Amino acid sequence: MNTARKLFGAVALTTALALTSACGASSTGTEANATGVQLRMTVWTSNEDQLKLFDTIAAAYRAQHPEVSSITFESLPFADYNTTLTTQIAGGNAPDLAWMGDLSRDLIASDALVGLTDKLKATDGWNYDDLLDSATKEFSRDDTLYAYPFSNSPFALYVNTDLLAAAGQKIDPETLTWDQVAAAGAAVHAKTGKAGFVIRDFDYKSWNTLATVWTGFGAAAWSPDGKTCTFAGPEMQQAFTFLHNAAFKTQAMPGPGTKADFFAGDAAFTVAQVSRASLLDGKFTFALHPLPAGPIGRYAVLGQAGVGVLAAGKHKEQAADFLAYLTNPVNAEKLAQFFPPPRKSLLTGAKLAANNEVLSAAQLQEVVVDQLPKAVTLPNHTSPAEIAQKATTALDAMWKADADIPAVLNSVCAAIDPILTK
Amino acid sequence: MSSKSVRPSALPALARRALLVAALGVLAIPFVVPTVWMVSASVKPLPEIFKSPPSLWTDEPTLAAYTEVFTFQPFAQQYLNSVYIALLVTLITLLVSSLAGYAFARIRFPGVNALFVVVLIGLLVPSEVTIVPLFQMFKGAGMINTHWPLILVTALAAPCVLATFIMRQFFIALPAELEEAGRVEGLGRPGIWWRICLPLAKPALSAVAILTFLSSWNLYLEPTVYLTSPELFTLPQALTRFTDAYGGEMWNTQLAAATMTVLPVLIVFLIAQRQFVEGLAHSGLK
Amino acid sequence: MSRAGGARGTSRPSFWTTRRRDALAGYLFIAPQLAGVVLFVLIPVGLAIWYSLNDWNVFTGEQTFVGADNYAALAADPQLPSVLLATAVFSGGVVILNISLGLLIAVLLNRRFRGATLFRTLFFSPVVVSVVAWTLVWGFLLQDNGGINGLLAAIGITGPNWLQHGDTAMLSVIITQVIRSVGVNMVLFLSALQGVPSQLYEAARIDGAGSRVIFAKITLPLISPTVLLTAIITIVGALQSFAQIAVLTGGGPELSTTVLVYYVFQQAFEFNDIGYGSTLALMLLSFVMLLTLLQWQLRRKWVFHEQ
Repeated sequence: MNTARKLFGAVALTTALALTSACGASSTGTEANATGVQLRMTVWTSNEDQLKLFDTIAAAYRAQHPEVSSITFESLPFADYNTTLTTQIAGGNAPDLAWMGDLSRDLIASDALVGLTDKLKATDGWNYDDLLDSATKEFSRDDTLYAYPFSNSPFALYVNTDLLAAAGQKIDPETLTWDQVAAAGAAVHAKTGKAGFVIRDFDYKSWNTLATVWTGFGAAAWSPDGKTCTFAGPEMQQAFTFLHNAAFKTQAMPGPGTKADFFAGDAAFTVAQVSRASLLDGKFTFALHPLPAGPIGRYAVLGQAGVGVLAAGKHKEQAADFLAYLTNPVNAEKLAQFFPPPRKSLLTGAKLAANNEVLSAAQLQEVVVDQLPKAVTLPNHTSPAEIAQKATTALDAMWKADADIPAVLNSVCAAIDPILTK
Repeated sequence: MSSKSVRPSALPALARRALLVAALGVLAIPFVVPTVWMVSASVKPLPEIFKSPPSLWTDEPTLAAYTEVFTFQPFAQQYLNSVYIALLVTLITLLVSSLAGYAFARIRFPGVNALFVVVLIGLLVPSEVTIVPLFQMFKGAGMINTHWPLILVTALAAPCVLATFIMRQFFIALPAELEEAGRVEGLGRPGIWWRICLPLAKPALSAVAILTFLSSWNLYLEPTVYLTSPELFTLPQALTRFTDAYGGEMWNTQLAAATMTVLPVLIVFLIAQRQFVEGLAHSGLK
Repeated sequence: MSRAGGARGTSRPSFWTTRRRDALAGYLFIAPQLAGVVLFVLIPVGLAIWYSLNDWNVFTGEQTFVGADNYAALAADPQLPSVLLATAVFSGGVVILNISLGLLIAVLLNRRFRGATLFRTLFFSPVVVSVVAWTLVWGFLLQDNGGINGLLAAIGITGPNWLQHGDTAMLSVIITQVIRSVGVNMVLFLSALQGVPSQLYEAARIDGAGSRVIFAKITLPLISPTVLLTAIITIVGALQSFAQIAVLTGGGPELSTTVLVYYVFQQAFEFNDIGYGSTLALMLLSFVMLLTLLQWQLRRKWVFHEQ
């Protein structure tokens, strides 16, 4: 028995040692010391300058609030940010604060967020009335704000003027329409072999980005109350006919499965958020315009991100207090260099241009400030992942040369109506 | 080969051999080209990756993507995570499976067959069945966003059961006289296992080590579910995260990271390929 | 090296007979493995059954007992038939292609010629390549303007838009999976082939049997136990191919490559429907069990010898 005991002792010990070392490498020290409040905020940026700014603001806050021993900003990959955040909440490891995009509706609907209005109104000098109504709408329920819309980035049309010149194309930004963009794009593709226009991040999957086009046709994914699918309407048919022609007839838009990156010089036009201007590295000359006019005329679309306090967090009060600090007028101005702010007082071309290295005050005035008040947000609903998957699956039938557009759009409604009415 | 049959077909045999090599050469293309393309694309400037016609050559090779890998993610840490988890899992599995495999093969005890069937069930239950309950169990144990689930489940559940099966198949073929000799020398079961059987089981052990290492190295669903902090990620998980909400396309960065993931293992394999392949061949999995 | 139980003295017959000592050693030896299976397989299966009878709100942790609702949802799920079809086509395709290609390569390599070892190494090499890296690379190559169509264009063929059509997307995931993993089966078959006594071949040749007949009548029956085992392992592996699908096609286009494992992940971790996800997973489990039982029963028919 001695041999066995020795052996098993050794086995147990090795295992224990091995596991201890595993543990040492994997635990990141979640233990809070008695007085120290540790706050954690999940974000989806990994941009060093942005994180540095957050760290600076957090350090200033901690200097005034010694009870808060640390504030960390956890960068989660954008691609599955929602899944990761949900997993953290479900796993009992909810962050204190979190950035949120299309998950906000679910979080608000299931009371997972802390209401912010009272706290912000009660904070000295915060100036709640400075917030733009069109910015706060998406993150509110029953007049209570649940997430501060720190980023309100309108979509704009980026133009590679070198490519247009190479193909002998000219556009007039004042009167530019989608049809002209498609025509110029098709000409560029025919002459140079490069792509015409690219709806960035769409990639024949993320159909919600197509709202940047269909809004100009007067279409919407669902009714304002979110209960009825409007994909099958005539406006949407018109919009998808336009896109389908561009992809399969005129080749103004690269077809499915073709990779083309505007910022690498592969395309004449792209629709992307203004914040993407930082990707322009001077390889080609560019122009930036508001979205072209659709059949209904000029319009604007906006991508939003909010930051909220999670009800499941351990230090809700301190988290809300830090949020109020992070977004006060002084800090909001600092954040504005990266994220178009929701505060009217900051929304002038000159203020936005102060810290922007790529875009001029006139450009920012035109593509951001003038657009925001009238801008429509990207489709937003509860159960975003399920709606996205069901509609993507139904829309796949659209991306074939001989697609029956009305039938496909009807099938989209058939697929998502049960979720909308849930 | 009898001399009678060789003679008439001597010349055609040569031609057939050439044909065989040519056929194998064509067949090998899809096995080899992706890896070569990956390495070559990882040193190309971004716009060249989708240049037509495709080429494995570039005039201006750049290692920019390789430095980008490390600034975008804590890639070195992620690399270390994958390596230590795979090694630890392999070590535990070798121990656990050789013990269990030996017992199932050589020791008669009440219920041995029933228990073997119970263990084999572990091989048949797909991970998608257990992943949700396991997530809840590990959540209860406070082990979400730690490496514990990756280590414990891989080292003790399905991959380990396959290992136990391989070990059992190997031990069952050992001649009984060896154990008798051990008994005469006064060895107990642990002694026989450790001193006599394990040294003979090197081929099976190396097969187990290879298969276990690879299955841990390749885990994707599990880290995706259990891990949320980039510094805890494993390599497969990290590879799919080279997309940035505000950044450009990161194709060449992704390919550089993939290259760094693949090449070391591939090189180890090429150096030790004989042991690799023959270990597997003599594993008793036949 | 003291004998076990020696502490109790040897004057009277020890309680620790060889049989009892053996039994104790046996139980202790299998204990870690058995504990692993119970803790990480059997208990989770039991929990999955419980979850399938409940609905969850992941944000609040609320849990409500809903009885057979999730099972009723199976019948009402309009996507499920496509998912099951995709699962069957994918697993069937992978198993058939993997076994036949593995056998083919093994037979071709099972003779002595210069370069045999090199080819064996080449065919085996994708096995050690990380699944995600391998799939990523194929994802690039299979784009409409990617390397494969570029190569085809060079020889005057307009390649299909591989990942954008249901059929070619399915073909793509099957083939990339088979190429990556066939090396293991190839090695196992090679070793089985080398175990076939050469006298049998000699005898058959003397009897005038052609090589095809020899393969069908001698080789295949003799290596059939290996084929059975690899078939079971390959099919269980195919049913768990998550990374390949997630990285290469994301289940699309439409639902053409949404196999069950991917669907379960979507339901449970993306749509946060843990109850329904568990129900789907249990359905899969019953398929696997049934299939394995069937194969096991059939083995008497087509497996030549059982040891």
